[in-house]
Amino acid sequence: MYGYVIRRLLLAVPVLIGVSILVFAIIRFIPGDPARAIAGVHASTEYIEQVRKELLLDEGLHVQYYVYITNLLQGDLGRSTFTGRPVTVELFNRFPNTIVLSASAMLIATIVGLSAGIISATRRYSLFDNASMLGALVGVAAPVFWLGVMFQILFSVNLGWLPSGGMGTWKHLILPALTLGLATAALIARITRSSMLEVLRQDYITTARSKGLVERVVIYKHAFKNALIPVVTVMGLQFGTLLGGAVLVETVFSWPGIGRLMVDSILARDYPVVQGAVLLLAVFFVLINLVVDVIYAFLDPRISYGSREVD
Amino acid sequence: MKKYLALLVVSALLFSVLIVGCGPGEEAVAEGQDLVIAMGAEPENLDPLKMMSAPAATVAEHVVENLIYLAEDGTLKPALAESWEPAEDGLSWFLKLRQGVSFHDGEPFNAEAVKYNLDRFMAKGDFEGGDAAVFAFLLGRVTEVEVVDEYTVQIHLDDIFAPIASHLSHSFIGMHSPASLEALAAGDYVEAPIGTGPFKYVSWDRGEQFYMEKNADYWGGAPTLDSVTFKFVPEAGSRVIMLETGEVHAIMAVPPTEIDRLEAEAGIDVVFQNSVRVIYIGYNLEDDLFKDVRVRQALNYAINKEAIIATIFQGVGEPSSAPIVPAIFGYTEAGPYEYDLEKAKDLLAQAGHADGFDMELFHPTGRYPQDATVIEAVQAMLADIGVNASLTTYDWGTYLDTVIVPPDQAEHDAYMLGWGTVTLDADYGLYALFHSSQWPPAGNNVSYYANDEVDALLDEARVTPDRTVREGLYRDAIDIVWNDAPWIFLHNEGQVNAVRSNVKGLIHHPLENLSAWDAYIQ
Repeated sequence: MYGYVIRRLLLAVPVLIGVSILVFAIIRFIPGDPARAIAGVHASTEYIEQVRKELLLDEGLHVQYYVYITNLLQGDLGRSTFTGRPVTVELFNRFPNTIVLSASAMLIATIVGLSAGIISATRRYSLFDNASMLGALVGVAAPVFWLGVMFQILFSVNLGWLPSGGMGTWKHLILPALTLGLATAALIARITRSSMLEVLRQDYITTARSKGLVERVVIYKHAFKNALIPVVTVMGLQFGTLLGGAVLVETVFSWPGIGRLMVDSILARDYPVVQGAVLLLAVFFVLINLVVDVIYAFLDPRISYGSREVD
Repeated sequence: MKKYLALLVVSALLFSVLIVGCGPGEEAVAEGQDLVIAMGAEPENLDPLKMMSAPAATVAEHVVENLIYLAEDGTLKPALAESWEPAEDGLSWFLKLRQGVSFHDGEPFNAEAVKYNLDRFMAKGDFEGGDAAVFAFLLGRVTEVEVVDEYTVQIHLDDIFAPIASHLSHSFIGMHSPASLEALAAGDYVEAPIGTGPFKYVSWDRGEQFYMEKNADYWGGAPTLDSVTFKFVPEAGSRVIMLETGEVHAIMAVPPTEIDRLEAEAGIDVVFQNSVRVIYIGYNLEDDLFKDVRVRQALNYAINKEAIIATIFQGVGEPSSAPIVPAIFGYTEAGPYEYDLEKAKDLLAQAGHADGFDMELFHPTGRYPQDATVIEAVQAMLADIGVNASLTTYDWGTYLDTVIVPPDQAEHDAYMLGWGTVTLDADYGLYALFHSSQWPPAGNNVSYYANDEVDALLDEARVTPDRTVREGLYRDAIDIVWNDAPWIFLHNEGQVNAVRSNVKGLIHHPLENLSAWDAYIQ
């Protein structure tokens, strides 16, 4: 297993180099003069020159990339053209906030989604099943920015229970995490339900039941664990999607995360920060995928990563 | 394995609680004299070298003061300089500084501090060879800052330049404690400003808020408010909600669609204020199409500015009545060109274009509020007099590169741009846009306008210290420009803030600053 993890980590290197080239290139190929765009309409020619010099825009692309990648390997992502602060400082100030938000959203999604899915599967076509599946449909379909505003109106303006935005206490976390988590909860509920139903039809479940096992043990010990594999896949992918959804939720709830930083930086044409943020998210995504694959092995002993042997 | 997984989940959760717990830890609802204001964008930093936005100016002005303060009525008021007088030959200015003022770190404010700050801003003196400020052009005429005695500085110019006092009042030329600037690490910019202002910097949580507390020793008398917090809330709808729930006392930039609703709500006041920016469509005057002044005027008469403001901007803003807005020193009411289709058609016919013509109109998308929508309205209105405008738009950077070019490279017949006269002095609004020396690449006279009379008036206004005489010169220049119509004069942008009714004394400045030093909560 450790060998597998190391191999996967090594494989991530070319992926990340590819990402760095892509990010580097996309920003360089934006039409027009980035120095002019950064400097703005009031800027003097001297200042535009200064920006161009800072961003090495007069050098060839290969020189620019070489400088970029050597700095990157030394942990230097450059400075934000907007704030003048090191990009690494900008990113590491914000990234933990996004992780907190996404992790809380995932927690809500997992608890709500798994419970709803299991109950729906075991009480098929009951009122609960129909209601929760309808709720899940709405949850998947509702755009997060709309849902966020509805929550703000209900819980902050009308009921006055929770703050409508900002960061500070645990209360500030509830609405954004709920907004972000509900769509994922809906998806998890639907997948869990269908996966459970599939497993519950298997012969070994009939065997377990005929052995006289209590239904609870059949459901949780025998069926649930096997039904989890597709759910974990979806959850892994969803974590990446959550980071994307965080862009919107962080904007609606003024949550100082990396999504908002990216939006602000794109609007300010702050290329070094945009580059750094995309790269950081790519690294994170690669790691999440690795974790998901490792969890498979834990859930299903038939999947082995140690060597080619099948046990 | 299971145990490890559980451990991992638990520690992740603990970690998250810890991080969230590290915030200010208090509800944002203010009690007593703690004012909270929500603004849309966050300042880049508060360093005179790098500042370039209104949010930065708004926040900085509470902590760091200028030599001269530009009041919301356009008058210049003494701040850290008690008086400013030109020398006999007009080639230098003497500034008498306020005595007995200290920076928040206890350092004295004096002529040396002024020299230090201005030299740093211009990259002159000890800062020669370093990077000058983004807005260093404001002091482009200054050759040297001389310390005459402890409380007098003499500012030397390379030529007589009357607007220098206005330029010194610009929000980006604040006086920081030299010791605090020296303490900055190489490459770093001011994030924790140390000035002389009515409030002292306490903390800045990026992406969240900027917090400051009152300066009890303020030379102008301590403010009533104990603290001011600027929260950064990018989403306009969220700002409105925060005002409604009472989480903040005031919000900046109310979206037009919410104005009616907020006005109807008890306990909330909606405040309308002018801005300093004009939006216009400039003609390419090197183009044969627009050589005839009747054509240029005809298009002005064909645009219904009132309708654009009423429908696209929900009544916020006003039709342009001069190439600069009323808040600016030197403004004269010359217009607007009233909407008159018959007159427009007559003028076109007289100019030999009875059947109209085709033109290429370039415009940005997303740079100015509703820019593309406005252009579509203009296109439809021009069609009424037979002028068929085909539209071209680019990304902002490309757009500037395409439009701000010497005449032989111009691809457009007309272009849309805006200009904010951020010094509130007509010189910055008129010289840069209408003086014939300012054709690109030298400047921003993108219409290639050239009128000897206007040149002479603008030149003279630059070297005339008497403000009344200057006003007269600008009046004449504006009248000529208005009748020459090098632009289709569109509208002056407006700004809308909203404030809880129990908050008094906020200053809503045309520069889009919101100032709280005179404010208090009832």
